[in-house]
Amino acid sequence: MVRNVYEGSPFYRKRLDDAGITPEDIRSKDDLRRIPFTTKSDLRDNYPLGMLSTPKSNLVRLHASSGTTGNPTVVAYTLRDIDNWAELNARCLEIAGATSADVVQVAYGYGLFTGGLGLHYGAEKLGAKVIPASTGSTKRQIKLMKDLGTTVICCTPSYGLFLAESAREEGLDPKEDLRLRIGVFGAEPWSEMTRKLLEEELVESAHDIYGMSELNGPGVAMECRAKKGLHIWEDHYIVEIIDPTTGEVLPPGEKGEMAVTTIMKEGMPLLRYRTRDMTILNEEVCECGLSHARIMRIIGRTDDMLKIRGICVFPSQIEEILASMENVTPHYQLVINRDGPMDKLMVRVEISEDFKTDRLTDIVDLQRRLENQLRDTLSINASVELLEPKTIPRSEGKAQRIVDMRKI
Amino acid sequence: MIKQFSVFLENSPGRLANLMGILEKNGIKVLAMGIAEAGNYGIVRMIVDNDEKAFDMMRKENMSVNQAEVLIIELERLANAVKTLSVVGVNIDYAYTMDCGRAVIKVNNEEKAIKALSEAGLKVYPTKC
Repeated sequence: MVRNVYEGSPFYRKRLDDAGITPEDIRSKDDLRRIPFTTKSDLRDNYPLGMLSTPKSNLVRLHASSGTTGNPTVVAYTLRDIDNWAELNARCLEIAGATSADVVQVAYGYGLFTGGLGLHYGAEKLGAKVIPASTGSTKRQIKLMKDLGTTVICCTPSYGLFLAESAREEGLDPKEDLRLRIGVFGAEPWSEMTRKLLEEELVESAHDIYGMSELNGPGVAMECRAKKGLHIWEDHYIVEIIDPTTGEVLPPGEKGEMAVTTIMKEGMPLLRYRTRDMTILNEEVCECGLSHARIMRIIGRTDDMLKIRGICVFPSQIEEILASMENVTPHYQLVINRDGPMDKLMVRVEISEDFKTDRLTDIVDLQRRLENQLRDTLSINASVELLEPKTIPRSEGKAQRIVDMRKI
Repeated sequence: MIKQFSVFLENSPGRLANLMGILEKNGIKVLAMGIAEAGNYGIVRMIVDNDEKAFDMMRKENMSVNQAEVLIIELERLANAVKTLSVVGVNIDYAYTMDCGRAVIKVNNEEKAIKALSEAGLKVYPTKC
């Protein structure tokens, strides 16, 4: 594989030459560590098609990211890439329990975004019936589900919740009037809390799917029926978990950034691509019987990561705690300070307007419980400041959420 | 039964001023007030002359406000009153005084408290001031 990339891609030939590596040097997974990482900026810098490992004439498809922060990243597929992509998405649907008897409604966007087409191909490959509903037109989505007997819905988890709510507004009970057996939810991070809601309100069984356009699109990893991590298709992708700061490969079971090397991709294979997603790799055989390793639900993005006392902290972890507790809102601010040699984390959070009490002890108790939860989840001590409702500035982006007062 | 408001406020300059300003602007009079604080926040408890208007105003300002039932008793015979309550095992959770020679008390058993106080010939006021 490394030889193909070396011979096919001028970009990688230079990379490997500069690092003094020949394809013959790479014979095992351990040897991979000698290869420099590929990053998102490499893709941007080589816009539009500087990363190809195959002549342009072999390509049958191009997708592109929205490019809101500069050049979009373009990804390219050969016919065999498209076929593999379909195969992997079919596997994803299958381990979630879908069969050729299912009616699969794909409510991910079709177009430059890979979500819609990826699952579309997967469902067809499985032999299921596909409804290519794409995004939006919620009323029509619900009508299609009802009239065509949709049994599998593929969409973002937040849209899943919105569908349930909209169906209710139309006087339907989604769990009674619709027949949704399986939900394939991805393209944004979600929590066990959301799973519980989705399974109460919309589908019998909600599954997390992982992917990114650089790795074909959806279908890189998927939750089986055991729902204890997402199986990553190791015959297509080699996963390494690395320290996001040093790039060192971490021992099994440690939390770090996922770097992926593609094995089967022809159009635009990637070596040690830094996904910027933080997770844990679990190589134990799953109770579902599959031996493909599992990644844990994505903990956060390296872009959002804070290092406090040497420990990685993600705003998403704090959001999840706040969402699970009564009497506080998801409106918070993180303040990091350095007190002597020690970093101190303070979580400032608005209490809910509906927090009804005339007793100070109830409020002190809420503060203590929050502090305990934060310590258990983050493994560092954080102090909590409770604020009056609506006092943190709204919708000013995540920069406002984090106040880092450390002078480093 | 007398209604008391409790409002969650941050323990910093200007927060109480803001609350009082809102009440004043709307012509609501504060008849009694007490503050309990813990670290960066506290609870302001108060009796006002117009419950409904005060509640609406504070909700409109997105305040975390709660209503609770309290008793108003005579300040002059306070020693007698608290002794009476202790004898029947009623606990006073908190208390503060009013301008008009009365005290606001929050008890853990109102019915029992009213009965004991009345039997001892002590006043439980049906009105505020």
